[in-house]
Amino acid sequence: MRLLIVIPAYNEEESLPALLDECRAASADLPCDVDVVVVDDDSTDATAAIAEAKGVRVLKLCRNLGIGGAVQAGLRLAHREAFDFAVQIDGDGQHPPHEIARLLARTKEAEVPDLVVGSRRLELRGHQTTSARLAGQAWLRFWLRLICRLRVTDPTSGFRLYGPRALHIFQDTYPYDFPEPEALAVASAVRLRVVEEPVAMRARQGGRSSISGFKSLYYMVKVTLAVALAFVRNVRRHAMVAASAAGQQLEIRQGEHKVNNG
Amino acid sequence: MVEIEAQKYWPFAIICAVQLLILLRLLLRQRITLQGSMSYMGFLALFGIVALFPAPTARLAHAMGFEVLANFLFCAAIMLLALLHLRALVTLSRTETRTVQLTQDLAILEERLDRALRTR
Repeated sequence: MRLLIVIPAYNEEESLPALLDECRAASADLPCDVDVVVVDDDSTDATAAIAEAKGVRVLKLCRNLGIGGAVQAGLRLAHREAFDFAVQIDGDGQHPPHEIARLLARTKEAEVPDLVVGSRRLELRGHQTTSARLAGQAWLRFWLRLICRLRVTDPTSGFRLYGPRALHIFQDTYPYDFPEPEALAVASAVRLRVVEEPVAMRARQGGRSSISGFKSLYYMVKVTLAVALAFVRNVRRHAMVAASAAGQQLEIRQGEHKVNNG
Repeated sequence: MVEIEAQKYWPFAIICAVQLLILLRLLLRQRITLQGSMSYMGFLALFGIVALFPAPTARLAHAMGFEVLANFLFCAAIMLLALLHLRALVTLSRTETRTVQLTQDLAILEERLDRALRTR
């Protein structure tokens, strides 16, 4: 079994060295072959150079794509190189790499999940977010349940494990800007099996959050719209793909029937 | 009534002609593509003709309930510009999506190439 740890990073030179050391230590304890890729989102600091010096794989994006574009680049790499799973962890050190084992353990279940979301709300362990963000999360939980019939406790968590089906879907369709809740809507629309696993998170170890002040309001409005649009769009696409596959199967069966009778 | 309006609108035709010339200059310098600018050229040509021959347009405006021809022209111009903007938005969004994909593919290929060169 092969696992790719995808670390999207934009100006994370402060937190990256310690995070990569932790990844190395955590990888040794995982029951699979592990590769680490840092996706440098056109940083203006030494993020890419630090990652290269640490001996991990580095995807250097030639323009800033935002968190979604950076994550998708990593997922694309995982899909093209036939990794079985990919884990996304933030470059700011919020997601402790030793918790990857918990996400990975869920793939041993009889019904293998396509997407495992690390949730800080299930057991309330580790660093919890501000009350304003909690209110935003509550709204997104309600909205995802209303629109997508999806029950999650931590819709904004970026600590996620993607299985082969999720990699197949997301390497092609992944939201670019504030992607986490929208990606859940896509997952629900295309009937991926989404589960949550309690994890402990930390406060960011360096850098600055991209969502603050007026941008928070924009974030809420944009994500609310995006979730609804992504769900409707992908439900339709999924239905079309399913109908096309059913049509192809019917043609094959008819062809076989003709061959058998002819 | 129509004669007075015809006199009023010829400066507008000149503005359309000037814009058309600027557009042609940009086309000659290959700063814009002919394919992308056809709709804009059509818009300028239409409004230039309307400005030069306002009588039929005035009759149409009156039939549609506009008392003043200028109101009809503003309304039509806003609608057409909104359509042009929508078209530009579609093109821009498509280009943006493609650019993101190309950026990701380029990064993946570069990384593969670097690794291949290092292992040589």
